[in-house]
Amino acid sequence: MKKIALYTTIFALFGGALYVAVAAGKTGAATQPAEAQAATTEAAPAQPAAAAETAAAPADAAKEPVVCFESRKGASEVTQREIRPGWPNVKCSPTTGAALWYGDPFDGTVPMGKMPGLENIPEGHALVKPRSEKLAILPMCATACHNGVGPKFTPPTLPKDKKPTPIPTMEGLLPELKEFQHGRGRLWCLDCHHTTQRNKLVDNFGDPIDFDQSQLLCGKCHGDKLRDWRDGIHGKRIGEWASDGKKRWFLCTECHNPHNVQQGERNRGFAQLQPEPPPPLPKGMPDMKHELVHPVAH
Amino acid sequence: MLSLSSLMGTAALMAESDDAQAAIEWAEHFQKNYRLMTDEEKAEARARLEKRYSEEYGKQVTVDTTPAQPGVLMGYALNIRKCIGCRRCVHACVAENNQSRGKNRPGEKIEWIQVLRMERGKFDAEKMNHGYPEGLGIQVGGNAYTPVGQVLEGQYHYTPDLVPEKDATYMPIACMQCEKPPCVKVCPVRTTYREPDGVVVIDYNWCIGCRMCMGACPYWARRLNVTNPVLPKEEMNPVTHYLGNRPRMRGVVEKCHWCLQRTRHGRYPACVEVCPVGARKFGNLLDPNSEVSLILARKNVFRLKADLNTFPKFFYFYD
Repeated sequence: MKKIALYTTIFALFGGALYVAVAAGKTGAATQPAEAQAATTEAAPAQPAAAAETAAAPADAAKEPVVCFESRKGASEVTQREIRPGWPNVKCSPTTGAALWYGDPFDGTVPMGKMPGLENIPEGHALVKPRSEKLAILPMCATACHNGVGPKFTPPTLPKDKKPTPIPTMEGLLPELKEFQHGRGRLWCLDCHHTTQRNKLVDNFGDPIDFDQSQLLCGKCHGDKLRDWRDGIHGKRIGEWASDGKKRWFLCTECHNPHNVQQGERNRGFAQLQPEPPPPLPKGMPDMKHELVHPVAH
Repeated sequence: MLSLSSLMGTAALMAESDDAQAAIEWAEHFQKNYRLMTDEEKAEARARLEKRYSEEYGKQVTVDTTPAQPGVLMGYALNIRKCIGCRRCVHACVAENNQSRGKNRPGEKIEWIQVLRMERGKFDAEKMNHGYPEGLGIQVGGNAYTPVGQVLEGQYHYTPDLVPEKDATYMPIACMQCEKPPCVKVCPVRTTYREPDGVVVIDYNWCIGCRMCMGACPYWARRLNVTNPVLPKEEMNPVTHYLGNRPRMRGVVEKCHWCLQRTRHGRYPACVEVCPVGARKFGNLLDPNSEVSLILARKNVFRLKADLNTFPKFFYFYD
């Protein structure tokens, strides 16, 4: 009996030792990625500029907030911050600076204003990101120049007709107006901007439209797109996928530049972007030229 | 044959090791196929995995086991005229789904979405009668010397300064979540299957890495973890699903699962949320007001390789 117990102990000890050895091998395999990571960070200084910047980024993160653009450059942006430990509100691409992952899709949003055709969507389930902080200069327009006082503005000099005239002051303030391109020459500033309330847009009846409801202005002409946007077919939404779910709706100008809608190589209404890096090349392929060869031999 | 690991687990138990890992391996080894597991066994597996992943990645990891909701059949639509080929979806997918992201060895970097760049052909008047054989014209789609229509297969590694390029069309492909999935048909251990809400999933614990499904898939959607997955702790997404984005091991196949950890809780998949042009749409096919249902009702829709009778729930459309 004692002998059997001894054998069992020996077997158990041996098995245990073997197990420990295998477990050690496994942890070794698990630590390998960390080593590989360390190797890449060590290799980073050897590469110029970009790699060094990404290596330096964590150190600067405390003082320099990471800001990434959402749809197109020059429109809505998000500042990276931690919602809860280890959970950022957004992850940004290190190569292009684009938003790559949303931890909180409703970060910094407000309920969208009323619009016909949204009766099925519960109150507070349609959210937009307000542009008010980006439009800080617009109220100034009304106080500094378009204020109705001063020699040139008593009475306010509104144009007599709708013929577009270049305004050097405005072109100096907004350089992109020089290549203004919307409606192929049939539109000008006051077709969209309110004549007296400079921080508003204008509808067909001359009534002001809020900047956070730009779809009402754009829908004046692009009614088919407005319908598709309202139904979720056109445009971008993030949040919940249910048809009555809580979503953040991206407004027209978050993707399209209203002052130059046709920019981009394809004239499709979206400006060109820098793409994210491609997947790794197949093993043994020095470049991507094999993809340019017609695969079928003739 | 009783395998070595089970023997070792037995031995460890007999040695009354207080190592928690030993009990984990023991339980994991004798775990059933996920579809045959009772709710208690699922909860047990979940607790075990949560403990292990939390220790391994140094943060609180949750492993969700939410089943499919009744009345939901997930569907996906992609506007192929809007796609600009920026590859943001590819990288969002990697950030969400804990793929291996190593750089040093081949096969260490895994991406589920591929963005194909295709040349745009031209149907010019002077090219109308070119083609092969001579004189038959565009019916045969041209040949290598006088291209008529679209001739090249896709390019994956395009690196222009700016996209979209003129004369290029981009077509992202990933798992199409077929209603009749060839991968499910060939799986010898039945570890990949279609969930009741339409998503084809993999129980990674039962995958033997035989790659039959990779050969069967006509959409090149499946990837094998050839090496030990490289997943840095700080980049690991702690919100996971058992059938979805929980960290995988070496030698198992993985693929897109429409971000089950998100969509089972009502959230859009990660690729939908980052698409800068809003080309990607996701919704419930059984809900007539959902985005995908409205696209099917109003737009011109096609499915990739529809002739194979796989019935994908991933629809391409154009305005």
